[in-house]
Amino acid sequence: MASRRRMLLKVIILGDSGVGKTSLMNQYVNKKFSNQYKATIGADFLTKEIQFEDRLFTLQIWDTAGQERFQSLGVAFYRGADCCVLVYDVNVMKSFDNLNNWREEFLIQASPSDPENFPFVVLGNKIDIDGGNSRVVSEKKARAWCASKGNIPYFETSAKEGFNVEAAFQCIAKNALKNEPEEEIYLPDTIDVSSGGRQQGSPSGCEC
Amino acid sequence: MDSDPDTNGAPEPQLSEDELRLSYLSLEDSRHVPQGVRLERNGSLPADFYDAREDIKPDDVEASPPRMVTGGREGSSKGKIGLIEGLEMDGEAPPSPSSSGYAGERGSSGGSSGTVEAADGGERVLHDDWDKGKQRIDEDDTSASWRKRKKHFFVLSHSGKPIFSRYGDEHKLAGFSATLQAIISFVENGGDRIKFVRAGRHQVVFLVKGPIYLVCISCTEEPYEALRGQLELLYGQILVILTKSIDRCFVKNPKFDMAPLLGGTDAVFSSLIHSFGWNPATFLHAYTCLPLAYSTRQAAVAILQDVADSGVLFAILMCRHKVVSLVGAQKASLHPDDMLLLSNFILSTESFRTSEAFSPICLPHYNSMAFLYAYVHYLDVDTYLALLSTNSEGFYHLKECRIQIESVLVKSNVLCEVQKSILDGGLHVEDLPVDSSLRSGLPCPHPSQGRAGPSSMSDIGGPAGLWHFIYRSINLDQYVSSEFSSPLNSSRLHKRLYRAYQKLYVSMHDRQIGPHKTQFRRDENYVLLCWITQDFELYAAFDPLADKALAIKTCNRVCQWVRDLENEIFLFGGSPFSW
Ligand SMILES: Nc1nc2c(ncn2[C@@H]2O[C@H](COP(=O)(O)OP(=O)(O)OP(=O)(O)O)[C@@H](O)[C@H]2O)c(=O)[nH]1
Ligand SMILES: [Mg+2]
Repeated sequence: MASRRRMLLKVIILGDSGVGKTSLMNQYVNKKFSNQYKATIGADFLTKEIQFEDRLFTLQIWDTAGQERFQSLGVAFYRGADCCVLVYDVNVMKSFDNLNNWREEFLIQASPSDPENFPFVVLGNKIDIDGGNSRVVSEKKARAWCASKGNIPYFETSAKEGFNVEAAFQCIAKNALKNEPEEEIYLPDTIDVSSGGRQQGSPSGCEC
Repeated sequence: MDSDPDTNGAPEPQLSEDELRLSYLSLEDSRHVPQGVRLERNGSLPADFYDAREDIKPDDVEASPPRMVTGGREGSSKGKIGLIEGLEMDGEAPPSPSSSGYAGERGSSGGSSGTVEAADGGERVLHDDWDKGKQRIDEDDTSASWRKRKKHFFVLSHSGKPIFSRYGDEHKLAGFSATLQAIISFVENGGDRIKFVRAGRHQVVFLVKGPIYLVCISCTEEPYEALRGQLELLYGQILVILTKSIDRCFVKNPKFDMAPLLGGTDAVFSSLIHSFGWNPATFLHAYTCLPLAYSTRQAAVAILQDVADSGVLFAILMCRHKVVSLVGAQKASLHPDDMLLLSNFILSTESFRTSEAFSPICLPHYNSMAFLYAYVHYLDVDTYLALLSTNSEGFYHLKECRIQIESVLVKSNVLCEVQKSILDGGLHVEDLPVDSSLRSGLPCPHPSQGRAGPSSMSDIGGPAGLWHFIYRSINLDQYVSSEFSSPLNSSRLHKRLYRAYQKLYVSMHDRQIGPHKTQFRRDENYVLLCWITQDFELYAAFDPLADKALAIKTCNRVCQWVRDLENEIFLFGGSPFSW
């Protein structure tokens, strides 16, 4: 197998409605920002090719809707994610308080094999507003929470000004990668003719 | 899908004059003889002739909102449709260059003939084009050319990671692939299953195989069952390469990215998809043999049987996609679909042509979980031998077997006969033996005696306007198809006829309507006649002006003809094909 194969990384963005998830993604992928709010319906999907340590990756970004009525979508979206990005608005306390719910909901729905070490990244967005005067969540408070959840990397961003967005996504890609399991050799069964080789694959399911 | 009684070709369970005529031709059960547009006595066409619909269509085909059909519980999925449509509403926002919005674009493909024309160009793949691997790698879901393609195939994982796309680069389509996954998984989470969505002229067909999702998006008007069958084969081809053990990788690691494991196999899938348009084996679930003198084929069977007795599971000698001879070890039998997938894999893998090869391979109907080991060797440009063993160390033994087989085949002249048969071609409708009631006194040469000289009929097909036929023997799992001849002389016309047969096949095998025994339909392109008994299925295409009674009579002759030639066009004995 080609060792220089391209990899695809699935990244899910979660957070309350209006915190700027779509704006962050748009800034990152299209270098654009709009003041107008258009609620995401269900989920939106964007892709971005990135180069990292000499290798090419495709980020498949799942921008989900923060509005409550979409939270039933759950598993459909979360399964097989390589990284989960939690976003809050530094000017809205509730959006910060809800980070815990988002994180837990994700871990339940996605049920990753190693929840302790699943890669999250937290973004505190909209730091530009009012020159930072209207902010209600301090950087210190946010960092403390991240530290308590297994040292989640933390970034303060402004989707409007494009501040720290590139750096944040660079980190997201790096973390998604870190978690990639060692490649195993693919080895299916071999047929034992003596026991009547022709058997349909018994869906006995779980091998692990 | 209710059938519309006014639609041409719809089954019409009513006794008619034609039915009475049928009975003397020994068509066994003609209770459902659907009628085509009938010719007036004076030979002119009725006014509505050209309006005649080609097929039974669901009532709301055109310009209806996307309709989602799930595996039952139609009522309960109402709310979901709203949500699914919501997903598609991305089109409302200013289109961002990499946002996936395929469905949002449905309006633009509404039916301007310009679109159709351009798209056809993409589908009309030159014969030597597909095997170069995937086409148009630079396309993605934002390219106009990509959106105009008539038929897309996608494979993706249950986490939305792309595995295969017929057109365009999988990674560039990651957003689109995520959209498909969201739709499928969402319906699945509700304990339901999405079967297809209709959006204008497009049909989106879904097939879920554990952690692997397959999707076809098509505006070819092929029936749902046919498209689903094609997705099944696509899945089968994945299993041929990887086995069903692949599911375990997803159990261990839901993030598993399967695409790299299929590296280098684009040509295999492209060639399979291409064959959906030209190889009737893809919907008949039968294989076809190269016509050969009985003694020649038996000589080949005998030598293959020898090696099968020495621990080879299957020994298969094929010429292109036709079987020369085939033998299985005791009790081992080969499903026709497995054979199709195996020969497609071999024919589309260029490296097999350059040297003898040994490769793990899975036959999904034989054992979907495990690999067999295939020794493949081309004996000449067209003819190849595949020896399958369960032993991963069997290379040298199989090589010995091949050397032995090859020397016998050369000595007994089988390879020369094979080449000769390729040149002669198969059955030609012009050679169908006729009597005076069908056509005035043409001699009826036997195909092995060489073709008759040009006759006055040669440019308009066979007797009674017969253009083409396929005869499928049910017990043998084999079919024989006549060669294409004028006026069916372009690959576009061939594909159109196969699609018409395919539709006929689906409607004849539709369990809801019941087992039709005969069907007669006439449209602006052909008269199509299908006849199914316990032993065989016959599909025949005639000139659209063909006389019905004569056409039926001609079908009887075709069957008789095939029976007369069966020792040369079918493979008998060998292993039992009981499925
Ligand atoms: N000043 C400022 N405004 C922002 C910033 N990011 C987003 N906004 C604005 O906040 C509003 C909501 O942004 P969205 O990106 O749509 O929010 P969302 O998280 O995607 O919301 P949902 O889709 O409903 O979950 C919009 O009006 C944006 O213009 C930022 O960094 N600074
Ligand atoms: Mg949004």
